[in-house]
Amino acid sequence: MTAGDGHAEVVALLHREALFLDEQRWDEWLALYTEDVEYWVPAWKGEHEATADPRREISLIYLNSRARLEERIGRIRSGRSAANLVLARTAHAISNVLIENETAGTVDVRCVCITHIYDPKRRSEFRTVARNALGLVRVGEEWRIRSKKVLVLNDNLRTKLDFYML
Amino acid sequence: MANRHPSEGGGALTFNKRPGFAYARKGQVVPDRGRTSGDPDMDASDIEALVIDRPEDGVFKVHADVYRSEEIFELEQKYIFEGGWVFLGLDCQAPEPHDFFTTYIGRQSVIVSRDKDGVLHGLINACRHRGALVCHTAAGNAPTHVCPYHAWTYDSAGNNTAITAHDRGAHGAGFDAEDHGLRRIPRFESYRGFLFGSLDPDVPSLEAYLGETTIFIDLVVDQGPDGLELVPGTVHYTYRGNWKLQIENSADIYHFMPTHETLLRIVNARAADDAAAASAYRHRKEGSVTRGSMCFPNGHNAMFGGGDNIQARPLYRELDKLRERVGAVRAKWMLYTRNVLFFPNMQLLENASLQIRVNRPVSASRTDIVTHCIAPRGESDEARELRVRQYEEFFNPSGLATPDDTAIFEDIQAAAGADAVDWNQGYMRGMGTASREPIAEARELGLNPVTSVTGSPSLGDETILHGPIRAWRDRLKAALSSEDRPSLRYGSAAAE
Repeated sequence: MTAGDGHAEVVALLHREALFLDEQRWDEWLALYTEDVEYWVPAWKGEHEATADPRREISLIYLNSRARLEERIGRIRSGRSAANLVLARTAHAISNVLIENETAGTVDVRCVCITHIYDPKRRSEFRTVARNALGLVRVGEEWRIRSKKVLVLNDNLRTKLDFYML
Repeated sequence: MANRHPSEGGGALTFNKRPGFAYARKGQVVPDRGRTSGDPDMDASDIEALVIDRPEDGVFKVHADVYRSEEIFELEQKYIFEGGWVFLGLDCQAPEPHDFFTTYIGRQSVIVSRDKDGVLHGLINACRHRGALVCHTAAGNAPTHVCPYHAWTYDSAGNNTAITAHDRGAHGAGFDAEDHGLRRIPRFESYRGFLFGSLDPDVPSLEAYLGETTIFIDLVVDQGPDGLELVPGTVHYTYRGNWKLQIENSADIYHFMPTHETLLRIVNARAADDAAAASAYRHRKEGSVTRGSMCFPNGHNAMFGGGDNIQARPLYRELDKLRERVGAVRAKWMLYTRNVLFFPNMQLLENASLQIRVNRPVSASRTDIVTHCIAPRGESDEARELRVRQYEEFFNPSGLATPDDTAIFEDIQAAAGADAVDWNQGYMRGMGTASREPIAEARELGLNPVTSVTGSPSLGDETILHGPIRAWRDRLKAALSSEDRPSLRYGSAAAE
């Protein structure tokens, strides 16, 4: 595998993840993650300092297994969560992809993700702007996401925030 | 129609409010004056008519305009948020000399700053020269604050230390006769590190305002031997709904099971897989859990209850030490679920974790919320990790409980589009049992609430909502009855 091929594969994975979220293909989205995934959305301590220790500081979301993501999908599917009765339409736009560290079986990736969110119930729109850091791992022929850190820049949250808005 | 209050609807509407018009009573139409800094065209009887308060008949209703009228929002800002005590923050947000944080009193930006000698000052965040903001960050450390406009400089006590080219300014005598320091918040007091301020100087002492509810601050501050600390990480959110919907929701036991069904399903499923993972708010059988409520003067209230899974509380690990230090009764109360409102803008909420939630109304239909996780200073890594996970899961707008509440506030606001939605009925559960005699749980803490109720969670008491609404009504009525200036009738709020 050349570095160039690796980059294309990584970008394809990021785009596939975005597509699965945008088309609400939750099972396929979930399958991109390892079971022991660390999914972390830090909170902010100041204008330019995010929380850094999820064990002693508050995060917006901190989940340490795929099962925790699955719970959130179940919550949406149940139709009993008022916050998710009418799901938003989203488009996740991925850019600024940069491969930082690469070994035979792992790769660290940075990117920017701007999620455009349209709420059909309120007929309103907004967006989340995030700088992401992902740790990918080779599982057979595929890349899987073993860690995902989402640094949300506009953290005065509009009513709610969940995985499909990031 | 026979049993209806005259203003409850039907053909006898005394309310004839039209969008874009100020309140029109008795058929009189008053042209819209637009939003002004003065009083909307309402008087005390208009406020009185918005609340039907007849406990003797088991009737309590609040008109939907209380939640949607921009004129009422103006009155609330002027006479409640900017006309009396509001919570500002904790002294541990500015622990060292020259530390500061900024917040709001109503619409006013303010600074809480610790001076070189360690004394806290409450200051108005506006330069005395041309009124630009002096402090620009949520918090920081600065021995001096320099206004970026003309570089007037203030020390951390708010005193003016430099006026640019003062001696060449050719001022007349009038300028030098004035004090050039930052304006001070007229009243600024602390109860055990909980800082409050009032833009109206003519208010009772903070302790008199808080009354017996200070015990609920004690129940938080005394959880650790060394007091409490803020867990780093501030969470902000905003919703398109009235501020009162949020403070009412936290007191509302009735909504918990239906609104938070998905959370309960999730935590129950986890507990079925792994008993050690049972959360504090796992599903409980009716009968094992109690819930109660108390209303206090000045709009404060407390919802509380025992029988939850206290093993999942961070404090449980220290229970023996806790009992030794604070006694069995207070230790039990520290492990109770407690949602306490310090009217109008602060709540101390403890279930699986402990939160300070501060509301700031932006308009009748928009509210900004700032939240902090608080914890005993220096608690163990294990307890802290449990605390932050349970906090995020329950309280965060990105968690599994709060977003469902907040979405419903927006639904309520959206549904109250016109006068067709007038009097909602959700204020009357518990009226048949609420007592002016303190319940046992109040007596064991030495409290004498205005009303109190206890029962199973399915009682879903709503009399707890009466206290804040009565305080709201009485504060606005008093302000609007006064010819010259508001005389805020603290202490009488719910006592009549």
